[in-house]
Amino acid sequence: MIERWALISGLKGDLDTYELIQKDLKKTPGNITLFVLGDMIGPEKNCNKLLHRLINPKSNDLQPWCIYGWWEEQILLESGYRGNQRAEALRINKGEEVVKSLINAVDKSFLDWIASLQFGFVELDCGLIHGSSKDVGDDLTLDTPPLTLLDRLTRLQVNRLFTARSTQQFHLELTEGIVHSEVQDLAGNHKKEQKVPQKAVIGVGAGKNYTLYDVGTDNTQFVQAGYQLEKKKNGFGLHL
Amino acid sequence: MNQAVISCLHANLPAVEAVLKDIELQGITNITCLGDLVGYGPQPNEVIELIKDKKIATCQGCWDEDVVDGLDACDCSYPSQIAEKRGHFAHQWTTEKLTKENKDFLANLPYSIRKDKCLFVHGSPNSQHEYLLPDMDAFAALERVENAKAEILFCGHTHQPYIRELANGSIAVKVKNSGSKDIQKKEMNLPMRRIVNAGSVGEPRHGGTKATYVVYNDITNDVKIREVEYDIELTCKAIINAGLPPIFAWRLKNGFEFAERAEDASHVCER
Ligand SMILES: [Zn+2]
Ligand SMILES: [Zn+2]
Repeated sequence: MIERWALISGLKGDLDTYELIQKDLKKTPGNITLFVLGDMIGPEKNCNKLLHRLINPKSNDLQPWCIYGWWEEQILLESGYRGNQRAEALRINKGEEVVKSLINAVDKSFLDWIASLQFGFVELDCGLIHGSSKDVGDDLTLDTPPLTLLDRLTRLQVNRLFTARSTQQFHLELTEGIVHSEVQDLAGNHKKEQKVPQKAVIGVGAGKNYTLYDVGTDNTQFVQAGYQLEKKKNGFGLHL
Repeated sequence: MNQAVISCLHANLPAVEAVLKDIELQGITNITCLGDLVGYGPQPNEVIELIKDKKIATCQGCWDEDVVDGLDACDCSYPSQIAEKRGHFAHQWTTEKLTKENKDFLANLPYSIRKDKCLFVHGSPNSQHEYLLPDMDAFAALERVENAKAEILFCGHTHQPYIRELANGSIAVKVKNSGSKDIQKKEMNLPMRRIVNAGSVGEPRHGGTKATYVVYNDITNDVKIREVEYDIELTCKAIINAGLPPIFAWRLKNGFEFAERAEDASHVCER
C-alpha cells in the first residue's frame, strides 16, 4: 500500500477542523501516518477538548503524532517549564491580554503532556519540525534565502524539511548547489568543491490547510479539510 | 591599511605583550580583539587592564560571558568530564580573582563589532559558543557570513587560525506544486565571502606553541596569519603559582591541539 503522511499544524484548539481532517483521512487511500506539527493550542479558543482528543484518540481516529509548536513554547515558558524565562516575546508583541488568554485557553492538567512533546521528528531522511532546526519560531517561506534553507537542512542532516511556522503551503526544491572552498592555515592550502544533493523544504500550512505527502514519489498535495466532499461537488476526480 | 585582529588571550600576559609588540613593530595601530580575555590563564586582571589601557576594541568571548553571567556553556563544550571539571575550576578561580571593575568591563563588551564590510565576533554571529571550524560545511559557513550581512567574518574561539574563502557558489531552486502550470525555476549566484579565524594569543591549539593572530589589509584584502614566540615558561610558572591545573601549563608548553575542544564542535549550545 502507498505510504502517505498527513501533516497538519495550527489547529489552535479547533476540534471541528481536526474532526474534519480525521474524516478526510479515513477516505484517503494509502497507509497514512498523521503528524501534528505544533500549535495545537492558541489564545483564541478554549483548547481543552482538542487536547483531550489528541491525547485520547477515538477508537476510529488515526493516531496523531504530535510535536510542540510556537504557541506550546509560549505556554511552557509562561508556566515556568523553561527555568526563569517567561513568554516575553509574546508579551511584547501581542500584549498581556493575549498571554492571559493563552493561559486561560489551556487547562493546567495538560501542561505536563505538552512539556513531554518532542521538538521534532526525523523520519527517513525527512525532518518534521514546527519552525526549523534552529528555532521553533523560525519562519521559513518561499522567500527565505536558499542559503538559510540549506543551513536549516544541514543542521538536521536531512534532505527534506517539513515546516509549519509560516502557515504557508509550499514545496521548494533545492535542485543543485555548488561552492568552492579554499582554506589556508599554518599547514598550507586546502581546496575543496562542495556540492549539495537535491533537498527540499515543504511548508505544510495551518488550520484547515494541510499537506499530504506521498513518501514513495516525493509528491506533495496541498489540501483543505473537507476537500474530498468539495471535489465531489465540483465533479473533480481524486488524483492522489 | 593594515589592521590586526587578535583573539582568545586567556589571561596569558606574556603572550599578549609579545603579540602587541609584534603588532607595534609593524606600525599597525588599528587592533580589534575577538574576546576571551580571561579563562585558563593566571593574569586575568592584568590582561584586561592592558586591553583597556591600549583602548583596543573588543567583543565579548565565551569565557567573558560565562564569568559574568555564570556558566552558560553546556557540558557538550568539553571533551571529557575531567576537562569539564578543570574548566569549571578555572571559571571559579577567574571569577574570584577578577576585580569588580574588570567584571563590569567584560559584562559591557558587545557581541559583535562591525566595520564596513567586516564583522568581528567571538564564535559565530549566532553565538559566542559556536565553533566555526575550517572544515565546517561550506554552505553553512557561507550562511553565517551572508546572514550577518558581512563580506568578511572575523572569528576566534576555535584557537586554530585559518582563512577560508568561499567562492563561485550557486544554488538552483524549483518551486514544485505551486498551482501554476509553469515550473518556477531560479538559479542564484552566491557571493564570494571569507571567514578569517584569528587563532589564539594565549592558548594556541594549532599544534604549535606560538601565539597566533592575523593581519588584514583592507585595501588589498590580503590576510596573513602571524605566529609570535613568547616566554612560555613565565606563563607556566604563573599558572602553577596561582594553583591552576598544571595541565594548562603542560599544554602551553606542548601546543596540544585538541585541548578542551568539544567532540562535536558543530554543536551549538542552546542554553
Ligand atoms: Zn578562547
Ligand atoms: Zn571561546
